[in-house]
Amino acid sequence: MDPRSHPYLIEREPYYRAAGNEVALFTAAHARSLPMMLKGPTGCGKTRFVEHMAWRLKRPLITLACNEDMTASDLVGRYLLDAQGTVWHDGPLTLAVRLGAICYLDEVVEMRQDSAVVIHPLTDDRRMLPLDKHGELVKAHPDFRLVVSYNPGYQSAAKDMKASTRQRFGGIDFDFLPVDAEVEVVSHESGVGPELATRLVRIAAQSRALRGRGLDEGISTRMLVHAGAMIAEGIAPHDACALAMTTPLTDDHELQAALAGFVEAQFGPRP
Amino acid sequence: MRPEWSAQPTGLVERRLAVLRHIDAETHAAVCRALPELDREVDRAALVDLVAQVAAEAPDAARALASRLIHLSDALADPMALRKWALHGLQRHREDAKARHQFFEGHDPLAFADHRTEDDSAHLLARRGALSHYLAGFGFAAHRIDLLEPQATALPAPALVISNESIRFPRRTAEVPVAQRGAWQRAALAHAAAHLQHSPLGRPAGNRQPMLLAMMALVEDARVERLMVRVHPGLHGLWSLFHTATRETAGFDYAGLAARLARALHDPEYADSNPWVQKGRSAFEHAAATNLHDLAEFDSLARLLAIDMEKMRQKLPLFYRPQPAYRDDNTLLWNFNAALPEDETRTIVREDFELRPDEKTPPDLRPVEVDTRRRTRYPEWDHQLQALRPDWVTVIEPASRPVRDAAARAMRQPRVQLRGLARTPDRAVRRTRQAEGDELDLNAAVDNLIQLRAGIAPDGRVFQRHGRRRRSTAVVLLMDLSESTKRYVPGSFTPVLEVEKRAATLVAESLDIALDRIAVHGFSSNGRHEVHYERIKEFDEAFDAEPRRRMAGLESGLSTRMGAALRHAAEALSRETTDHKLILLLTDGEPSDVDVFDDEHLVEDARHAVAWATGQGVRSFCVTLDRHADGYVRRIFGARNYLIANRADAFAGHAGQTLVRLVAH
Repeated sequence: MDPRSHPYLIEREPYYRAAGNEVALFTAAHARSLPMMLKGPTGCGKTRFVEHMAWRLKRPLITLACNEDMTASDLVGRYLLDAQGTVWHDGPLTLAVRLGAICYLDEVVEMRQDSAVVIHPLTDDRRMLPLDKHGELVKAHPDFRLVVSYNPGYQSAAKDMKASTRQRFGGIDFDFLPVDAEVEVVSHESGVGPELATRLVRIAAQSRALRGRGLDEGISTRMLVHAGAMIAEGIAPHDACALAMTTPLTDDHELQAALAGFVEAQFGPRP
Repeated sequence: MRPEWSAQPTGLVERRLAVLRHIDAETHAAVCRALPELDREVDRAALVDLVAQVAAEAPDAARALASRLIHLSDALADPMALRKWALHGLQRHREDAKARHQFFEGHDPLAFADHRTEDDSAHLLARRGALSHYLAGFGFAAHRIDLLEPQATALPAPALVISNESIRFPRRTAEVPVAQRGAWQRAALAHAAAHLQHSPLGRPAGNRQPMLLAMMALVEDARVERLMVRVHPGLHGLWSLFHTATRETAGFDYAGLAARLARALHDPEYADSNPWVQKGRSAFEHAAATNLHDLAEFDSLARLLAIDMEKMRQKLPLFYRPQPAYRDDNTLLWNFNAALPEDETRTIVREDFELRPDEKTPPDLRPVEVDTRRRTRYPEWDHQLQALRPDWVTVIEPASRPVRDAAARAMRQPRVQLRGLARTPDRAVRRTRQAEGDELDLNAAVDNLIQLRAGIAPDGRVFQRHGRRRRSTAVVLLMDLSESTKRYVPGSFTPVLEVEKRAATLVAESLDIALDRIAVHGFSSNGRHEVHYERIKEFDEAFDAEPRRRMAGLESGLSTRMGAALRHAAEALSRETTDHKLILLLTDGEPSDVDVFDDEHLVEDARHAVAWATGQGVRSFCVTLDRHADGYVRRIFGARNYLIANRADAFAGHAGQTLVRLVAH
């Protein structure tokens, strides 16, 4: 393996609790070299899943968080100056293409639609990346894979992927785990016992019922893990839930009051 | 604002009496008879005004009110409470003349005089949004949270009432300390959710004794709370706050023993020496240990407890309500097989029921004319009460063109996001290769150096900056179509309406449709139930033949209820996604309507509507033809937000210029 890919290898197994057959699906798509699209609410485990799969398939993982200021040259690379003159620098996508890594574009819809078009030649049967400014045509390493993720819930109507981009991907839909599995995850990740983890998960379940009533997303598994870890460290449950869950979630006073009510329904009135 | 009764000018009462005589002579006579009998302190002008207001809507109700004035001396001492009471009656029974008459004939105005009641009601209404979110968290998103009808303070406060559509709180919670009101509301909703999740609803009550029903309900309360605590363990602590009954505080009568049993079933720590309570507790714990879902077991244990109660010769008190305070009246558990009107669902359990005979008459199948006009209700500001009268005014729109409600709702979701995007300067507009700018255009800089190295004269434009976008504006041009617009503008031969039309046309034609959106609406009113609202041109419509035809067809008539029209226009603007929103009102005089006799009322209401719209992000501006408008227009719209055009030919120009100035902001 190319020594440049060492920093991108994942050495220890990232914990992942499968909700269904997504591991088998992803492995099959990987074998077909199909680019994958992971959809799901924030903090439900998309990124952890990709890390886990990179570890399982023993491939380096190059992650890129997309934003709307990102241009095509931020992905493929650009000329920069040094003492001798101009030098070509590969962007993260080009690097992944050369190394045969999994390139993971997080929140891909945040990227401008026209920038996203650079991935088109990579994601059909051509599997190549033309670097027009550099005058080079990079053939993709046989192990190169592309994975993108986004959250269909809160994106605005203005932000979406082009149909031509969408149709190159296979997709897996993620959602929050069923209660028992989520309890298992929260308990494992934060170190609280299953009884306390159950209470946290039930608060989250109630908050998720408020989706569409002014709340874009309910309390995520990630937030539960943070809250659980704080409780495990000895912070009072009401304070931990306020700090890690209800306060960051929304600025709306009425929703805040309702969320505090859900915490109260699990941990009793604040002493 | 001038409080009218502090410096009551002589003759004000007489003037108002004259207005009243004009509305209804019989009421006038009754009031005239009552006035000399009343206390010296009573503010007669305000009283006559109130009676006139009732008379304008419901003469028979006003007669009923006027004839009992002399018996209302307690209520008359608190004019605010009386006013609230009368307005509540007009509003609550707006469609039912009989109920309205009964209300004014017999209902006690003192129901609105208790400050704790008013404070508690306001406390609940202010938290209604949060509470409805809280209830949604338990899976009951569709239930409305509301207040029960007010009742005289002499009666004990009723319990919460739960139905399949709503949860209605009592207006007064005297037994709950002020600091615990929030916890009480949550405890009540959690208890309601427990019933809705776990209780069988509407079981036939049959011929069970009221005592038995009450006991079964008590056991059921404890059972569903047990089930609820399994999933939401914190609720136990929340409910515990209200289980305060002890031997000493609750006593040995039915209500006291029931409260102690409720506490014993709730709280394992609580020790009670009463054998009945102990028996109930051990029987319940036995049943609960086997199966909490076995209703028959719990029913039979309730039956035993009720029989014991009978043996102790305890009676169900007349105004029994389940304890502790957060529990509901349990009417949703039973089907008493009697169709009571919605207002009286709070039946006392001891009522006997009777079977109604089958109705044999065939249903009336003749086609009925359906009124398809769209109606929207808006509140109105009462400056004397310093409060909004909820749902007071009805705005009516012709149904000719369906407005895409579904589409409008679908647009709500992303609106918040779009607002963030729309702020200028706009980073999405990228100007590269500029001679100057905030940051270096990296690609241009590299090109420049490459050209330099290659010996070509470089371009030199190596900066980039983000561009700006002019803000977009949505404008509702609101035309006053009242009767007075028929008049000619002083010094010309053009009717006011004609001038308004010219101005509207000019403005509608002159806006840049690529950036700005304009709608032309008009209004006139005929009392609070009929504010007619006309959409001459919609936002999504081109200003072509059809809207022009509608504009030409406009006619003057009726009155000017400005506040309602402003609120409706602001509501229309709330669906727009532009950066700025603006209402431009074209009018010729001050607000007035046929059912309002207080000169200040509609001016103050319009002022409130403008302030409310500003809170919604909608600015309001007025162009008026009334030379004497200074006094009220400034009050309604604020010092810099109006323009008085004194000549007809200048009006359209003024309106246009004003709009250009406002849009360019």
